[in-house]
Amino acid sequence: MRFRQWYESIRLRPAVGWAAVLVLAPMQGIAQTAESAPYTPPRTVDGQPDLRGVWQVLNTAAWDLEDHGASLGVPAGQSVVVGRTIPYLESALEKRRENFEQRATLDPENRCYLPGVPRITYMPFPFQIIQQADKVTIAYEYLRTVRYIHMNGNPHPPGPIDWWMGDSRGRWEGDTLVVDVIHFNDRTWFDRAGNFHSDALHVVERYTPTGPDHLLYEATIEDPQVFSRPWTIRMPLYRRQEQHVELLEYQCHAYLLEEEWDNPESTFFDTH
Amino acid sequence: MNQRSENPIPTAIAGSLVALAALAAALQVLFLASGPAAGQAFWREDAPKIPMAPTWLAEKALLQPYSPPRTPEGVPDLQGVWGAPGGDGLSYLEDHEYVDITTPAQETFVSDPPDGKVPYTPWALAKRNEIFAGLGRGWPGESGDRLYSSPQSYCLYFMPEFSFEEVEIVQQAGAVIMLGAVGFRVIPTDGRPQMNDSAKFWYGTSRGRWEGDTLVVEVTNLNGKGWFDSTGHFYSGNTRMIERWSLADADTMDYEVTIEDPTIYARPWKMNFPKRRPGTGPQARGVRLPGAVSAGAAPIEDPYANEYWEVGCYEGNAPSAASLRALGFQWFRGVLPPP
Repeated sequence: MRFRQWYESIRLRPAVGWAAVLVLAPMQGIAQTAESAPYTPPRTVDGQPDLRGVWQVLNTAAWDLEDHGASLGVPAGQSVVVGRTIPYLESALEKRRENFEQRATLDPENRCYLPGVPRITYMPFPFQIIQQADKVTIAYEYLRTVRYIHMNGNPHPPGPIDWWMGDSRGRWEGDTLVVDVIHFNDRTWFDRAGNFHSDALHVVERYTPTGPDHLLYEATIEDPQVFSRPWTIRMPLYRRQEQHVELLEYQCHAYLLEEEWDNPESTFFDTH
Repeated sequence: MNQRSENPIPTAIAGSLVALAALAAALQVLFLASGPAAGQAFWREDAPKIPMAPTWLAEKALLQPYSPPRTPEGVPDLQGVWGAPGGDGLSYLEDHEYVDITTPAQETFVSDPPDGKVPYTPWALAKRNEIFAGLGRGWPGESGDRLYSSPQSYCLYFMPEFSFEEVEIVQQAGAVIMLGAVGFRVIPTDGRPQMNDSAKFWYGTSRGRWEGDTLVVEVTNLNGKGWFDSTGHFYSGNTRMIERWSLADADTMDYEVTIEDPTIYARPWKMNFPKRRPGTGPQARGVRLPGAVSAGAAPIEDPYANEYWEVGCYEGNAPSAASLRALGFQWFRGVLPPP
């Protein structure tokens, strides 16, 4: 079971900057700051609010969006869900429980697939926002994923389309970048705790500058096949302060394929 | 960015995604070692040889000097979309005649040395020949072994291959950013130092600087696991690449990359070709089979033609990795000089 060993090793090894997430941020304090102290960001040459830079979360949402205690390799954390609890339909709770129990084999992160939206935002890797007149691009260190948020006037293309990262269309509401995302598949999760969705997922993200080095990130999640009502996650994004910060790379599937390739007992290749 | 592109990836993704996913899987099995297959172009046997470095060197010699516009920061403005080199792309690096319907006759990418061949040291040439003979593509001279498949078969991307694809250049203070269908590069131009060489990456690390009208990018910290093409031309973990990006005219990027690695090459060598703005430059680059499965150009009136859409290469092609492994292909872990 080399695959299981690999899975355990990435969970237990304090690699990829996990130490950073042990410093927990007071969520509600940040949200209040955003409401009580308006901040006017500088403008780009195109006149847009300037959100450019390298950003990263500082929380434990990657492990579990909701309140959770600690376990080996998993730091405890407070819920990033507004209202604390995800409003699952009664009929969907059983699948969430199965996902959690079998997360070692079922979590798509462990197969190095594109993690979807909003999950990629709060993985423990930095990302960089790049702005042009017709699109905002988010470049993620994780899998070198490039995500284009089109702002060229085109609506979502007609479906059905099942994309891992969905189709992102953006607009500005004041200084907030609002991104409407649809056309998802049903194969990504929200975290390592088995929180899931269907291909009816609809995500609305809001990126609001609250200071020169902070964005408030909110994502409203709507999926009537899984949840009883729309719900929202909220967390700050922090500008990386290192003088020479740059996105490096985490080519997950390269490392996974290389490790599994020469293992005669690998079950990885049997299960695609 | 989709229309007129000769890069198979962005053109393909505008089509029916479900059908393409199935097609990609089928083609990967059919052309096991030929890299990303979605939108694979097929070529006529009697097509004229596709121009590359030698033709570009002759063409370039006749051009008048060109001074590029400048950004507000006062550096050359290289922004915009720059196409792939055309032809079969990085399928086969050196000059070759027609091999099969995915490998048309094409000039070499190598502009120096003048013979157009990668100047390997003797042991490295023996290794390169061993890899070539073990590609399992049904080509003349193969050993019958299945040795390695191109890393691109597994949807891995690396340098300099990324620079050869269609890229959109975005400039901001202290950085040149390159965006593509399957990835990105952020090239710092703020004079920061390179990282310690013990840190290795598929893309290496890039440090840029401006020399007159040219963006010079030094790429180091490579992991040496990528190939230059799908026939096994390789570099190593010691390789340094120096890219030179400059405008030959308003619509033509003159792309040159110098490859240095005394452990596997007898001398530094260069590749050179033009990257055109979409819809400009000579269009006659070989002749595709009429009606064949090909990179289907999106209709010009398609409002989405200038958008990159999700490729999901690894996610869609993971079964082909399993197939290649079952067929006995080994995982390429890079080359090491003999002790």
